[in-house]
Amino acid sequence: MLESPGTNHWFGTDELGRDLFTRILYGARVSLTVGIGTALVALIVGTLYGLLSGYAGGSVDNLLMRIVDIFYGLPDLLIFVLLSLFLGRNIVGVLIALGFISWVRFARVARGQVLQAKELVYVESARSIGASHARVLLRHILPNIFAQLLVTLTFSIPAAILAESTLSFIGLGINDPYSNWGTSWGTLAQDGWRAMRSYPHLIFFPATAIFLTILSFNFLGNGLRDILDPKTRRL
Amino acid sequence: MAPFLIKRLLHGVAVLWVVATLTFALLRLLPGGPFDRDRRLPPEVMANIEAKYHLNEPFLAQYARYIRGIAAGDLGPSYKYIDRTVADVVRDTLPPSMFLGIFALALALAVSLPLGVAAAAWHDRWIDRACTTMATLGISLPNFILGAVLIWIFSLKLGWFQAARWGSPGSAVLPAITLGAMPCAQLTYLLRSSMLETLGEDFIRTARAKGVREALVLFKHALRNSLIPVLTLLGPLFAILVAGSFVIEYVFAIPGMGRFFITAVTDRDYPLVMGVTLVYTAILVCANLAVDMLYSVVDPRVRTR
Amino acid sequence: MTFSFGKSLCRLILPLVFLLVVAACNRNSGSADGKTFRVNLGTEPPSLDWSLATDHVSFNVIANLMVGLAEFDKTLKPAPVIAKSWDVVDGGKRIIFHLREDATWSDGKKVVAGDFEFSWKRLLDPKTASEYSYTLFDIVNAEEYNHGKITDDKEVGVSALDDTTLEVRLKNPAPYFLSLMTFEVTFPQRRDAVEKYGSKWTEPDNIVTNGPFLLSSWKHENEIRLKANPNFFLGKPAIDNVEMMMVNEMTTALALYEQGQLDFLDNHSIPILEKPRLAKAQGFQHVPQLRGEYYGFAVNKKPFDDVRVRKAFAMAIDRNFLPSLLRGGEQAATSWIPPGMLAYNAKIGLPYNPPEARRLLREAGYPEGKGFPAVTLIYNTLDDKKTVAEAVQGMWKRNLGVLVRLENLEWKVYLKRLQNDPPAIFRAGWGADYPDPDNFIKLFASYSPQNYSRWKNSRYDQLLEQAAREMNEQKRVRLYNDAQKILCEVDVPIVPLFSTSESTLLNPHYTGLEYNSMGRLVLRNVKARSEK
Repeated sequence: MLESPGTNHWFGTDELGRDLFTRILYGARVSLTVGIGTALVALIVGTLYGLLSGYAGGSVDNLLMRIVDIFYGLPDLLIFVLLSLFLGRNIVGVLIALGFISWVRFARVARGQVLQAKELVYVESARSIGASHARVLLRHILPNIFAQLLVTLTFSIPAAILAESTLSFIGLGINDPYSNWGTSWGTLAQDGWRAMRSYPHLIFFPATAIFLTILSFNFLGNGLRDILDPKTRRL
Repeated sequence: MAPFLIKRLLHGVAVLWVVATLTFALLRLLPGGPFDRDRRLPPEVMANIEAKYHLNEPFLAQYARYIRGIAAGDLGPSYKYIDRTVADVVRDTLPPSMFLGIFALALALAVSLPLGVAAAAWHDRWIDRACTTMATLGISLPNFILGAVLIWIFSLKLGWFQAARWGSPGSAVLPAITLGAMPCAQLTYLLRSSMLETLGEDFIRTARAKGVREALVLFKHALRNSLIPVLTLLGPLFAILVAGSFVIEYVFAIPGMGRFFITAVTDRDYPLVMGVTLVYTAILVCANLAVDMLYSVVDPRVRTR
Repeated sequence: MTFSFGKSLCRLILPLVFLLVVAACNRNSGSADGKTFRVNLGTEPPSLDWSLATDHVSFNVIANLMVGLAEFDKTLKPAPVIAKSWDVVDGGKRIIFHLREDATWSDGKKVVAGDFEFSWKRLLDPKTASEYSYTLFDIVNAEEYNHGKITDDKEVGVSALDDTTLEVRLKNPAPYFLSLMTFEVTFPQRRDAVEKYGSKWTEPDNIVTNGPFLLSSWKHENEIRLKANPNFFLGKPAIDNVEMMMVNEMTTALALYEQGQLDFLDNHSIPILEKPRLAKAQGFQHVPQLRGEYYGFAVNKKPFDDVRVRKAFAMAIDRNFLPSLLRGGEQAATSWIPPGMLAYNAKIGLPYNPPEARRLLREAGYPEGKGFPAVTLIYNTLDDKKTVAEAVQGMWKRNLGVLVRLENLEWKVYLKRLQNDPPAIFRAGWGADYPDPDNFIKLFASYSPQNYSRWKNSRYDQLLEQAAREMNEQKRVRLYNDAQKILCEVDVPIVPLFSTSESTLLNPHYTGLEYNSMGRLVLRNVKARSEK
């Protein structure tokens, strides 16, 4: 039943006769959901945390940042493995587990930016004319730090995709092949790796899909950074 | 310096405690225990085993026992490798992981330094474009794919290297390349932008105006100053290399700690999982500490922070 | 360039170039030389202490370091090794082993009956906490001693009468007890070594063994080296050295084999999808195993509390299709006791019969699968289990109109589910501890801990008790036939699917490797072909 790539099946088929092209398309749903979903979760949690910390300043900031420091010290891949086993090896579980280890990056970026923005003249003037804290944070500071967060977000997506596919490759990632969602690219790559000598197409296409997807996001991130970050633009 | 050091050490202890607690709780909450097998044991036999490892005690008592053990430097017995303690396993498996990490990092530095400098020196020329493109490709290539490709080409097609067999000559080359590729790309990128920034500074212009040779400007004046951000990345990068190598240890059958971690998790070998995680965390803490100290030596501004 | 930076770069690159050159020159250094045989173990053996080992990797190493009272002959009957002979007396309740006098340990001392007594009592000692202690529970007071009801080990029914005579007293006659003498956990041990080195007594410098090979080095997680024992009492093996590697990625292991760096791979190192290609290679072989796969039903829960539903599901599975899918030399089965074992009977069991299956399901109130509740089949995460589950899912859909949900679980999670709350259908398997039908039939006794379907049948329990004590072989077979009929035709708490094989790949340069149907790798008789 296993066919090599041809006109009927562009990417060939697997041992049960399933079309690999279709499986990769469905797998995209898994990888992209995990990638974008994780990045968004981390963005929201991390940004709020960082905003609060940086804006509050003083001892609150100190305490909150100690917690972030501790998170930074965790061996994240190992914690990710344990967490995802605990939360269940499905998309939601992996999403939460990845979010748990990646929000701190946003928290640091957001805090750093807030500390800078707080000193800006127009923020001070907004405070002085009696704008509420929430208003200052959301209307004046958030838009100001948005660019930097967007760049971080773009780079977080490929990182999440990479983590998920790596875990799936060693057989510890998403393992729910009968949901309508499709099979993770990492799992497809693992299946292919097990048949590399006889059927190289089984690893070639999933691996290429992972590589090209991560590459695209990295290019996007680089581009965004060049546009949005005035410092690198100068160079 | 001393208060700074004490603060950082306390922080390291806090990180270790959080990791110990987190892994302890997570492991006990995972379904299935270390001695569940398809040949189910008679309850009395199971009771003997649980008594031997104190698994019959209440959860908190076990936790207290474990933390006391760590504080005394005892990582406990391995449930799977019955004749060995976790300390034995770590002693056997840490050196290969460390060696691989150091080798990969050396490789990454050896390649990225000339590339980064070249890219900055010929900014916006084809060399620069080639370097940045290669760096982006390198950052995007998952190491399990690179490992598979390298085995395919160099072991199966060309027969230059054995696909595994740690300890035989050349056995570290493919894994080190696989592991070092991504840090190499990151370092190239970082060094390039750091160099570009430095090259824009006044003292470079002064040097050039004074007629110092361009090569000397690049390597002596600019590179030295551009290495500071690279330095800060080295610590975490090394830790990532040591910890992140578990896929590579799997693919290339390297007797390192990462491989043990994965099998220990699936075996529910609680002390071994916690021991390995703690050792990784300690490496991470030390690496960050070393970088902080180095940084404060190189850049005095940091000390006042 | 005269910068120090350039120099340090050279320092980094030069060793690399050197390594590359060395590697390129060395690629043929490891080829077969007829003296060193290289096998893949797959993983680190968890323990080389045969009282504590529980897994096939450890036992495969131990089996080449040690011999016991008996070993299996070609027909899987226990044949004497250290025992010269044995007498079964008192109607099977007492066994006297007479030991040979020329069996020696690696340090030159004689193997005596006391070494067995020590080993067995150590296995049973609750402080040893051995998982396989129950192997010897047929011995008088063994279970009581292990459970702490007796503290004096002198009351346990095993004793060395003199250096060459070992007496064993059993609670009941047990026809399979002699088979247990081939199991590594019953092999002798040296009290002085165990007591002197504690948990480190299995390290190469400390261990004392009596088998064909000696443990010469053990690099943990990397490789174990054995060397031939020149004083082995049955003759020195033909190969001088054995290297046992621990490559757990099957693709990597296969690459090593194809590069000429390994001489033997077992099933754990051969990816399923590579099998069709390798089947054409010389040295590829399927070794049938005493191991059965089955699907079980939760008989206490709807809808599988109805025997008609169970029968319908059993008859809707086309078992003959599965081996062609798995390509591992599997043999389809409708009965439970596997081929190669006493009382194997292919005629027992429900055949593939979709119309009858549909009729039964209609009778049970689910015409064409209508109104059938949602049910789940669980299996553990492994490629071949997944393939079978998907195929059977398709057959049930086609033949019964029922779509069963599949759920794969990580090994330990899967075990927990089976023990605590088995779902409607579950995959399970069983490999023989000893090659006697008792080991297979007892699995589904009402008191058996592995009877996950929670099925109870007192007639079945009675039959297997009777058979376990019956010393007449023909009568035993008849009793097991009756039991199998209840299991596979009348009550159907399980559906046998197939018995498995182990795919093996042996470098054609070598011959004489024995891989028996208990999954043991025996290297004693391996030799290079040219030496024939």
